[in-house]
Amino acid sequence: MKPDQQVPRNALVWIIISLFTLVAPHAERLPLWVLAVYLFAAGWRIMVYQGRWSFPGRLVKTALIVAGFSGIYLSYGSLLGLEPTIALLLTAFALKLVELHRRKDAYVLLFLGYFICITEFLFSQDLLVVLYSLFNVVLVTTALVALHRPGEHQFNRKTIRLASILVLQSLPLMLVLFFLFPRIGPLWTVPIKSHTAKTGVSDFMRPGDISRLGKSDEVAFRVQFDGDIPPQSSLYWRGLVFSRLEEGAWRSLRYYDIPASERRPPPVAIQGEPLGYQVIMAPTQQNWLYSLRYARPVTPGVMSSADYLLFSPTEVEDERLYRVQSWPDAVLDATLSDWRREIDLRLPAGENPRTLALAAQLRARAGDDAELVQAVLEMFSRQAFGYTLEPPLLPSRDQVDAFLFQSRLGFCEHFAAAFVTLMRAAGVPARVVAGYQGGEINPLNRTVIVHQFDAHAWAEVWLEGEGWVRVDPTAAVAPERIEWGLEQAMEGEGSFLSDSPLSPLRYRGIAWLNTLRLRYDALTWRWQSWVVGFDRAEQFRLLNKAFDGISARKFMAVLLASGLLVLGPVAFTLLRKRHQHQLSETDRCYLRFCDRLAGAGVRREPGEPPLVFAARAARELPALAPGIQRISALYVQLTYALEPPADSAALAEFRRAVRQFSPPARAAAGS
Amino acid sequence: MQIQGLIDAAVAEVGSVLLGKEPQIRLALCCLFSRGHLLIEDLPGMGKTTLSHALADVLGLSWKRVQFTSDLLPADILGVSIYNRSDASFSFHPGPIFTQLLLADEINRTTPRTQSALLEAMAEQQVTVEGETRPLPEPFFVIATQNPVHQSGTYPLPESQLDRFLMRLELGYPHPRAERQMFQRKRTSGSERVVLKQRISHEQLQLIRTQAAAVHASDNLLDYLQRLVAYTRSSAEFAVGLSPRGALALLDCARTWALMHNRGHLVPEDLQMVLPAVAAHRLVPAGDYAGDGMALVELLRREVDVIRA
Repeated sequence: MKPDQQVPRNALVWIIISLFTLVAPHAERLPLWVLAVYLFAAGWRIMVYQGRWSFPGRLVKTALIVAGFSGIYLSYGSLLGLEPTIALLLTAFALKLVELHRRKDAYVLLFLGYFICITEFLFSQDLLVVLYSLFNVVLVTTALVALHRPGEHQFNRKTIRLASILVLQSLPLMLVLFFLFPRIGPLWTVPIKSHTAKTGVSDFMRPGDISRLGKSDEVAFRVQFDGDIPPQSSLYWRGLVFSRLEEGAWRSLRYYDIPASERRPPPVAIQGEPLGYQVIMAPTQQNWLYSLRYARPVTPGVMSSADYLLFSPTEVEDERLYRVQSWPDAVLDATLSDWRREIDLRLPAGENPRTLALAAQLRARAGDDAELVQAVLEMFSRQAFGYTLEPPLLPSRDQVDAFLFQSRLGFCEHFAAAFVTLMRAAGVPARVVAGYQGGEINPLNRTVIVHQFDAHAWAEVWLEGEGWVRVDPTAAVAPERIEWGLEQAMEGEGSFLSDSPLSPLRYRGIAWLNTLRLRYDALTWRWQSWVVGFDRAEQFRLLNKAFDGISARKFMAVLLASGLLVLGPVAFTLLRKRHQHQLSETDRCYLRFCDRLAGAGVRREPGEPPLVFAARAARELPALAPGIQRISALYVQLTYALEPPADSAALAEFRRAVRQFSPPARAAAGS
Repeated sequence: MQIQGLIDAAVAEVGSVLLGKEPQIRLALCCLFSRGHLLIEDLPGMGKTTLSHALADVLGLSWKRVQFTSDLLPADILGVSIYNRSDASFSFHPGPIFTQLLLADEINRTTPRTQSALLEAMAEQQVTVEGETRPLPEPFFVIATQNPVHQSGTYPLPESQLDRFLMRLELGYPHPRAERQMFQRKRTSGSERVVLKQRISHEQLQLIRTQAAAVHASDNLLDYLQRLVAYTRSSAEFAVGLSPRGALALLDCARTWALMHNRGHLVPEDLQMVLPAVAAHRLVPAGDYAGDGMALVELLRREVDVIRA
């Protein structure tokens, strides 16, 4: 191996370090054996460096490849999909280290390293992930720099400093590209996140589903209001409406359940000033969005459903930013269609006989529907119903009976389901609404942080003249849940976040820790609204604002101009440097002559002097020998025998000779 | 044509005893014409002595040989004053160095003390013994031979001493065909050696030297030389680059080489031809560079293009 092909020791150290920092963020998603492959590969390469082991032979390499593929297949059950593909890439990345032989291999590995840096963004676009990736980019660049500093034996700081400077210097270009590079939609779609568990509210509700969410401290979404934040007790974030009760679970209407005439939301009379706000949602892999009632989307691409809910045509796979306007006092469905009424009164036949009897009893006592609602709420608050995160299990049949007359302990979904069942039994159209309630206000930037434990279910009943009215039976049982949030409501029970002892939310009592948490949350908000939310529409809006109306042509011009602005000065200095030792006319002519010979199949080697080259070329192309000899002799005469200014007659002769020299192309010469 | 003919005849004459080594013979002649001393580094029995002896014959020079051993003292080379009883005075008995061509055989087997006595004489063309400076004959050449340093019982010449030799050559094993011819040739009786004809007279040698100094070096060529030298000083593979003396040596040898090929001007080929012999022993590879001086020369030749791009 030529010495300039060797991988210097320093570079090897940096390569191995960056290998591990690159795989680190993927570690929790990878099967354990992939991490073992990393240790194994690094160990092997170090042994090779020390001269104790040798590089693997072809047979071993093939075996490793086969083992890698089958390992991925066995771990994931498939080679397709995002996670298996990335696991495959990462395994290959580690194994490449074992055959890291020459500098060329190191280039391949390091360029792959840059690519692997990006793959982390497929899973998270968090601020911390970005900072970590930047750190990785610096490390990989350091390895590249070290590759070109063979003389340095000491592990020194200069290398990483140079790499950091390089990365810093590239930041302006990165910013320009970030703002101006066209956001092109993906040309193909990857089946994404096959294994990611879906978090958040799901599209059906069984008893116990929401109380399980109550134990999670993940952020569901963050909201920033244009004006004042409404009181906590009115923050009901609607996500789904459950109208069907089937197989013991409340489900939303499927699109084809709805007759065609009912699929579009009926017009709503709006009055007063809307409540404007912006939501940034964490990825859910679902397609419904959260809003206060009655919401109209401002962001294009967000749609409204017949239940006055917002949804996205595609699943929310990344942080999603959208703007909404809400009119909390608008009347929804002033008149109820027969189909709706039928759907929202339906109960499974023959179930919950005691509940039906109770409903009939209450119906007889109450005057109108509103009084009936009051009567049921009063029953919840007066009788010994308990609100708990750990409700007892209910039997699979007659669940509402069991809840109302036996256990009487439940979470919001129990109360909502029981309430809706009672209402429907009494002939009042009612449905369950699932979503989140309340949220934590970050005083630093006035955003509302809604966590998974704010998940909630409540009811809506349809009253003559008022349309759909929100009724929250939980508020009757545990008013502190609505006023203060879940933590206060669970104070006695101690079950709040009992499964996550390290959650910073558990330590809100420690002032500095809480401030730190809120500060980071405010930063995340900024990051998400400025960077993650900077999509095609936002880019267009910004450019429109900056350039007073923008067309495709203008956009291209801006892109080019800013590229020129950044690269122009660099190019200028480089070109000027080149200009300083510009080639003489003779040399240029000679190089043209060399190009023509290269076209005929004889290339001048690096460092090959003209007469040696002429002899070789004449030997290989005997037909052209006289021309080659003559031109070379003239060139040597002009360049080495005479002092400039060169004899103009000789120069002219040389130029003419080169111009007339036209060897046939390689194909012709070869035949 | 005159000079090239002379040289070709001389090369052929030497080549008749040292078979198949024409390039080395030409380089050795080039070195002597450039007023330089020659270091031949090779294993024993490769024809080092034969070459030097043949060169002395062809140039018509007086010739002496000193076999260097570990107990050789400076006086053994330079000479010594001996008391003469008859006229009661000291008279100087010149050592073997007072000759036109000295073969210093296996120079690395002697102690540094003796080595430096010889090297001083080589540099200054004169010796100082007992306070009296005596000039050495003109022309004065030293051909030193050296075993590869990894053999035991040697004192390798330090880099600074190596620099005093204009060229270093390796003879290497002969080509199989040349070797076969050697086997087939009838041995001359006993140990008597073949005496070669003088092909170049002292006047012609002088002429070659003056004409070589007049060989034209164009700006473009000096530019190439400077880029070569600059590369050895800036590139990471070199621990020690070429000194100005090394660069001048390169230029001098290239001039002679051009003249030997009947050219009145220097071309890059001349520099490249003498580059391995002149530069390899002056270049020291950086610590982690796997190659030796020859690999460095090859790298240099490849990396620095003749045309500045």
